[in-house]
Amino acid sequence: MKALTRWIADGTPWVWLNAAAVAASILLVTGLLLLIGIRGVGHFWPLAVHQIVYQEADGTEVVVTGQIRERETVTATRLRESGLEVAEGTELVHRDLLKTGNRDVTGQDFRWILEPSIQSMSRPRSMVVLEREEWGVFIGMLIGVREAGQLLESPDTWGDFQSRLERANELRDEIRELEKNRIGSVNYRLERLRLKQRGLELKGKLDAENLADIESDRALLQEEYRGLEQELVDLYSKLQLGAVVVTTGDGKELELPMSTIVDAHRPNQMGLAGKIGHFFHNCWKFVTEDPREANTEGGIFPAIFGTVLMVLLMSVFVTPLGVVAAVYLKEYARQGMFTRFIRVAVNNLAGVPSIVYGVFGLGFFVYTLGGSLDRLFYPEALPAPTFGTGGLFWASLTLALLTLPVVIVSTEEGLSRIPRSIREGSLALGATQWETLWRTVLPMASPGIMTGLILAVARAAGEVAPLMLVGVVKLAPALPLDGNWPFLHLDRKFMHLGFHIYDVGFQSPNVEAARPLVYATALLLVVVIVLLNLVAIRVRNRLSEKYRGLES
Amino acid sequence: MTQQEQLQAEKIKASHNVAVTVSDLDLYYGETRALQEINLTIPEKQVTAFIGPSGCGKSTLLRCFNRLNDLIDICRVDGEIHLNGRDIYAEDVEVAELRREVGIVFQKPNPFPKSIYENVAYGLRIQGVNKRRQLDETVEWALKGAALWDEVKDRLNDSAFSLSGGQQQRLVIARAIAVQPKCILLDEPCSALDPISTLKVEELIAELKSQYTIIMVTHNMQQAARVSDYTAFMYMGELIEFGETDQIFTNPRLKKTEDYITGRYG
Repeated sequence: MKALTRWIADGTPWVWLNAAAVAASILLVTGLLLLIGIRGVGHFWPLAVHQIVYQEADGTEVVVTGQIRERETVTATRLRESGLEVAEGTELVHRDLLKTGNRDVTGQDFRWILEPSIQSMSRPRSMVVLEREEWGVFIGMLIGVREAGQLLESPDTWGDFQSRLERANELRDEIRELEKNRIGSVNYRLERLRLKQRGLELKGKLDAENLADIESDRALLQEEYRGLEQELVDLYSKLQLGAVVVTTGDGKELELPMSTIVDAHRPNQMGLAGKIGHFFHNCWKFVTEDPREANTEGGIFPAIFGTVLMVLLMSVFVTPLGVVAAVYLKEYARQGMFTRFIRVAVNNLAGVPSIVYGVFGLGFFVYTLGGSLDRLFYPEALPAPTFGTGGLFWASLTLALLTLPVVIVSTEEGLSRIPRSIREGSLALGATQWETLWRTVLPMASPGIMTGLILAVARAAGEVAPLMLVGVVKLAPALPLDGNWPFLHLDRKFMHLGFHIYDVGFQSPNVEAARPLVYATALLLVVVIVLLNLVAIRVRNRLSEKYRGLES
Repeated sequence: MTQQEQLQAEKIKASHNVAVTVSDLDLYYGETRALQEINLTIPEKQVTAFIGPSGCGKSTLLRCFNRLNDLIDICRVDGEIHLNGRDIYAEDVEVAELRREVGIVFQKPNPFPKSIYENVAYGLRIQGVNKRRQLDETVEWALKGAALWDEVKDRLNDSAFSLSGGQQQRLVIARAIAVQPKCILLDEPCSALDPISTLKVEELIAELKSQYTIIMVTHNMQQAARVSDYTAFMYMGELIEFGETDQIFTNPRLKKTEDYITGRYG
């Protein structure tokens, strides 16, 4: 008894409790990262293709091919309740989720199979996985390449196919470049010309001379457009590289046009090195390519780009505003009831749910400010809104507002950490309060300001709810930054990783295909936030290194 | 002004130019009266020391001379302080201008988180001096004036924090003289220093007095006796006795002064 009392009195239980709390936190964080990491990254690993002879519930035998995505255990009772026959005496049954692909043939690209009903299983070396522009992947066997109606006789069908695929990809890149950049630019200039004409018309300044100018410009642009269009047609005709003949696992033969195939690999023939290579190839494609097929395939580059750009713009807006506000509160305002009230208000602002900021952004920024801007500066585009609809600018401003309290509070803290003696030293040399602030106090407070910015970035990058109201879309036609003047298009809508997770995970028609993408996107969002934070932390550490020694 | 104070003022006026005159100075922190009826005449290019127990108001009085007390919201000053004949609490006084004329060095060295060079050049840059040559010359001159040049001439671009405490204090003095003030206030400049650094700063004070009026606050009575020409003894916000240092330490007029100096209270 006495020993127990002593054990409690000397604080050991507390130490254990604290250690347990720390351990739990670490476990949760690493668990979270591991889960999204493995599930997300695992998606890019090239899985073997199995050919399975399977006995359906009605007794018929079929051949299915596919990659085993998941394995789970279910109770036999559950299966019996859902109408499936399970042998007497078995309690638990394993079942596998098979990614069969070939949605165009079978109408679905995933199916569950029960392990007891598997008759035999093999991994034919010739199985290919083709990534296509539509209908998801194709899994089956390559028969040959057909050109102009003739099946090519060749000792190396795979090699032939590969070289054509490479050529097709090159052409596709060219087409994309042409469509997006050059034709996009012509279209953009045509649209601006139309707006210019409409603007002059509205001002009543559209006379014959102006009109002639505009018409001649337009003719030039249309000429350019026709040229590009011809180029595009040529490219498309070159892309008709014939077709590839394939058979599905159960022997159905079909022909896929070469131009629809994006990527191909033979997982059953890959060694470890080949698999690792293909894994990184897939990862790279995921972060650099545009999404396809309602975001369930392809990459997420526009979402990464949108997230980073939005966060950077937000930082540009929030830092000066927050710092100036904090400087006023701390340095100039007479401390009293009023400043205390403002401080309480600012702190409470940090606790307002983010969707409320979204509503405010929509009501005030988008409709009120944006609407007025449109009427004042973009009347020629009306009734189509320019700034009167959600966009990058309003989204950044809304998030800047959302993160303002954080920046104000930490800047104030940074300011109050600067010793009196430094301010007095500067003032005693004949500096005014402003000079003291600018030359000494603010540089010394910069680590505090950076801390605020780090917190703001972390918060803003992960925010989704307000963005849904003020400018995020599931698929943006163009990046907000491109080669057309004025390069940064603040009025454009953009994609965002957080919203992309929501969209892919919950709005997608193809749940099984989308699930790994949700994890992969979530992982990427974490990585993007960590990278942004690392940059900010590096800057802060350099600043505090520079201004260290404050305490001495 | 008492008769005794009048007499003392006449005596100083007879032998020196007057740098600072304080007349009927009262200072309040909110409701508390921190300084009462101070009358004082400080001679030019001499070292004047303020001594007295902690909280007697000597630092407060010192900080009146360059109006650093203005920074405290609740602080209020009555009476007049004339610096070279000009009332520094008058309406039309430019405070920044005044502070350029009256430099101050605090108890703890407070270099800015900049290089040694930039610390000394700070006051000049504030005044808009940006010519490299002029800056170089002044920095060298000020560092030599503060007896620091030989120690730092090879590492002017190092951080000021890389200096020792004593060097930092001399750097701060260099920073103060770089703007060529008329008067330098020292607020217990040696209390955070070791004996050797203290000695160096004291030697420096003795050299500086040929060009500047020096007013210092010290806790260390030996220091006041060693360094100063005139000494003022303050107690509870009042100026008890002011006179030549020799006279104060060897033959104080008042019992209170004698008691303090001989260590009977403090």
